[in-house]
Amino acid sequence: MEAREQNLLRTLQENTWRFYAWVGFLGAVLLWGLYAYLQQLRNGLIVTGMRDQISWGLYITNFVFFIGISHAGTLISAILRVTDTRWRMPITRMAEGITVFALCIGAPMVMIDMGRPDRLLNVFRYGRIQSPIIWDVLGVSTYLTGCILYFYIPMIPDLALLANVPKLSSWRRRLYRRLSLGWTGTEHQKALLERAISAMAIFIIPLAVSVHTVVSWIFAMTLRPGWNSSIFGPYFVVGAIYSGTAAVIFSMYVLRRVFRLQEYVQQLHFRKLGLLLLAFSLIYLYFNVNEYLTVGYKLEGTERLLMDRLFGGDYAGLFWIAQGLCVFLPAALMIVVLGFKRYHRFTIPAVVLSSVMVIVGAWAKRYIIVVPTLRTPFLPSGQRLPWQWTHYHPTWVEWSITAAAVAGFALIYTLMAKLFPIVSIWETREHEAEVEVPEAAPAKPLRWWKPGIVFPVLVLGALLIWSVSAHAAAPAKPKEIKTAAITAEWKALPVEANREPAAAENNASPSDERVALYTAPFLSLRRLFGSSAQNEQNPAPPIAVTATLRDASGAPITFKPVEFSLQTAFGVVDFGSRPTMADGRAQLVIKDHRYGSYPVQVAFHGDDEYAAANFNIKVDFGARPSPALPEAGMLIAPYATPHIAVPFLVFYGTMWVAFVYTFGYLILWKMRRPAEAAAIAQTAPPLPVATPFDAHQIARPTLKPTNGEMS
Amino acid sequence: MNKPGNTPVTRRGFVQFLARGTGLVVAVGAAWKANASKVFREVLPSRSIAPGNHKWVMVIDLAKCDGCRDCTRACTAMHFVPPMQEWIKIFEVTDNEAAGPYFLPRPCMQCDNPPCVRGCPVGATYKRTDGIVIQDDDRCIGCRNCIAQCPYSARSFNWGEPPHTPEEKARPYDVEYNYPHRKGTVEKCIFCPEHLRMGKLPACAATCKMGAIYFGDQLDDAVTNGKGETIQFSKIARRGAAFRLLEELGTEPRVYYLPPSTRKYPSPDEKHHTEMAGMEH
Repeated sequence: MEAREQNLLRTLQENTWRFYAWVGFLGAVLLWGLYAYLQQLRNGLIVTGMRDQISWGLYITNFVFFIGISHAGTLISAILRVTDTRWRMPITRMAEGITVFALCIGAPMVMIDMGRPDRLLNVFRYGRIQSPIIWDVLGVSTYLTGCILYFYIPMIPDLALLANVPKLSSWRRRLYRRLSLGWTGTEHQKALLERAISAMAIFIIPLAVSVHTVVSWIFAMTLRPGWNSSIFGPYFVVGAIYSGTAAVIFSMYVLRRVFRLQEYVQQLHFRKLGLLLLAFSLIYLYFNVNEYLTVGYKLEGTERLLMDRLFGGDYAGLFWIAQGLCVFLPAALMIVVLGFKRYHRFTIPAVVLSSVMVIVGAWAKRYIIVVPTLRTPFLPSGQRLPWQWTHYHPTWVEWSITAAAVAGFALIYTLMAKLFPIVSIWETREHEAEVEVPEAAPAKPLRWWKPGIVFPVLVLGALLIWSVSAHAAAPAKPKEIKTAAITAEWKALPVEANREPAAAENNASPSDERVALYTAPFLSLRRLFGSSAQNEQNPAPPIAVTATLRDASGAPITFKPVEFSLQTAFGVVDFGSRPTMADGRAQLVIKDHRYGSYPVQVAFHGDDEYAAANFNIKVDFGARPSPALPEAGMLIAPYATPHIAVPFLVFYGTMWVAFVYTFGYLILWKMRRPAEAAAIAQTAPPLPVATPFDAHQIARPTLKPTNGEMS
Repeated sequence: MNKPGNTPVTRRGFVQFLARGTGLVVAVGAAWKANASKVFREVLPSRSIAPGNHKWVMVIDLAKCDGCRDCTRACTAMHFVPPMQEWIKIFEVTDNEAAGPYFLPRPCMQCDNPPCVRGCPVGATYKRTDGIVIQDDDRCIGCRNCIAQCPYSARSFNWGEPPHTPEEKARPYDVEYNYPHRKGTVEKCIFCPEHLRMGKLPACAATCKMGAIYFGDQLDDAVTNGKGETIQFSKIARRGAAFRLLEELGTEPRVYYLPPSTRKYPSPDEKHHTEMAGMEH
């Protein structure tokens, strides 16, 4: 074991008084946050600064922030691994750690924000896949699982190594041995591990992109000015990777100082990551310009107020601090330090300073995204409400819980850095060896994509479709009330020709168009085959009500006013009077959009000659349409609709299949059966077929000439 | 050990493994499905079916609203609305510098394409076949996504434990009157379904002494105000050039407004003026 590895192992064994003081401090902050949360549990969210108008605040800000930070591991570890960037080796473990721990802190922030955390399980009992919140539950839980696996799988060889270090206490060695899953370092195991890591690296990238996209969709799926934006998905993803890179740099610096890892983490790493950070700051600047210029150029309605508040109003201070810290200052600083040779010696302090600015700025930026938009609704409810109900000022409870979140993150990171080697031992060792002896290895004709995988995907897909196709039975149609046939007092006139345009207009209502856009091309057979019977209401035919006014002898009474009125649920519709004609009949034609049967009263109010008289008949205006939900039903249905459910469940289901494959199959099952595997290897020689998904080619492109384009 | 990396993934082993995994998935899926189908087939649809075949609609004549807020008080009294909440709120609106201000009562719009319902993760708020967007506080988890979704600011949240009265506590909770109120849940106007069942107008419409709030069944094509005046919905909507609030958002509200033209009461400006004069004297 080399000297630098001894040094690395020392970090696992030796605890100084500083370590205990630091852990004690973090624990105290955490306990204080717990006390604040207990206050909130007892008294409700009234203890926060949030109110009806600004109903999301620091908690949601923290949630978005920590989920953003968690993209560190994805970038540094997965992307750099897939592109086979060699210098990443010493820092992958740190980055993956940030990912897992940030998710462990970020996900509970939404639970802390909930008004009824006791009903958390309702999310699983009644979850509606149409809701962006459920997308987040699905996305974040999948991502957390994937990241834990991705943190754990590359650590297995190190755990096996540590299990044999006699200086460690026995419980730790037992733990390491248990976790190392029988790793002995055979070529067979190494190959399997490489394959598992590569597969995870490939799957974790789209997963990470999707997770921060659905986080942004919580906001972008609303009609709020400032959130109602199509750029939010990529904007959030880039912001997340940006802040995640900054977090990696900062943690790199801290760990380097604390654990004296100068041997591993060198100026080279700060320079490389600094360049990445610089690139992302420029991309982020581009997204910011895009976001604010498109809104600020048009200054539409409420968005104008929002822009005023951001650029020069209530939030201007924070806005410009956020922009400065998040984009302008770090970009300028890094351009100077990384770009000019004479300033290269300041690389480490400058890059670390930039990353601190980016982390703080990213948090402020999340706040600027969440709060000012809520402050600027279409209908500000500020009138006749006290000032505190329309402005947001976080209370001590929120600040305490936020501090506890940061402390909790630092605490987990500290303890994990003590428990597990924070620099990958086997990867850095292997890396050195490879640099020294760049020998060509035989081609690795391995396919991780076996035809067999099609089967579980199909089964899972069928299961998903089966489950989501459990439509609710259509609301039972109540029996139509049969009206008694009424004699010749009223009749339905034939539908006039000039009513048709109105009917056509009805069918082409804007709601119909919009719903069709969403549903027609996609899985909706009813729409494809053109049966919109449910929507089609027969235009009510005009109804002619004829009143005949006769005297006692049966002779018609002429030219007298007869009043017509109709009884509805709450009142009486007065149609006015019609005079009786020479035959004693008065006719009223009703052309209303009315359905069902109603009592109609014809009344003669009497005059000098004749006494008052009235008569009630029941007039049937045609059957009422059966009760139904509005046509936008796909999104507002209480049950899962396949249009939304299938894409989400298929995407995240694929991820779970991948996890099961890499961890369950390759690591848990396959890696621990070396004998059997060797036996099978003799009977079934692998086919020398290279697929584009060949994990080994991606993992080790330098070893094969055909892979030049991959790297 | 043979060639490095030459690890076999045989079809047999793979299929064996997958068979076990699929078996587990199917077992769990079947158990879940058994429960889910009960929820899907019985619980959820029955909630959405309204007691009667109606399409409730509200018409608010802005020309008649004098901003007295009797509707808000009646609503608050009827539903024991917690303090700081107004399920029907009177806004004083000035559209632009030149136009005079007017009063705008804002109940829940009971949208036909309700953003709140779309966003609710647990179906605690849902659309009923009679057009009402109901709020079920037995199920609400308090995530407040619906508040973020609602463009009309028509939703409120019980930030703390709401103050209770014995009358409010006397009845068990029901979505049709939405009390007793509970901490950590969302509240909103629900068109008083309990009144509608009894054939009465919602509290706000019944109370408005100006007769500004008309309420009725769109299938009846008639709306009635608190003074007992019934007008034809289709006629008043067409002739009165009725509009809906923030129509451009596509929420399809069920609340229509008649423009505040030809007012017969003091405008908000004049009201403020007389109030100021009264204070000076």
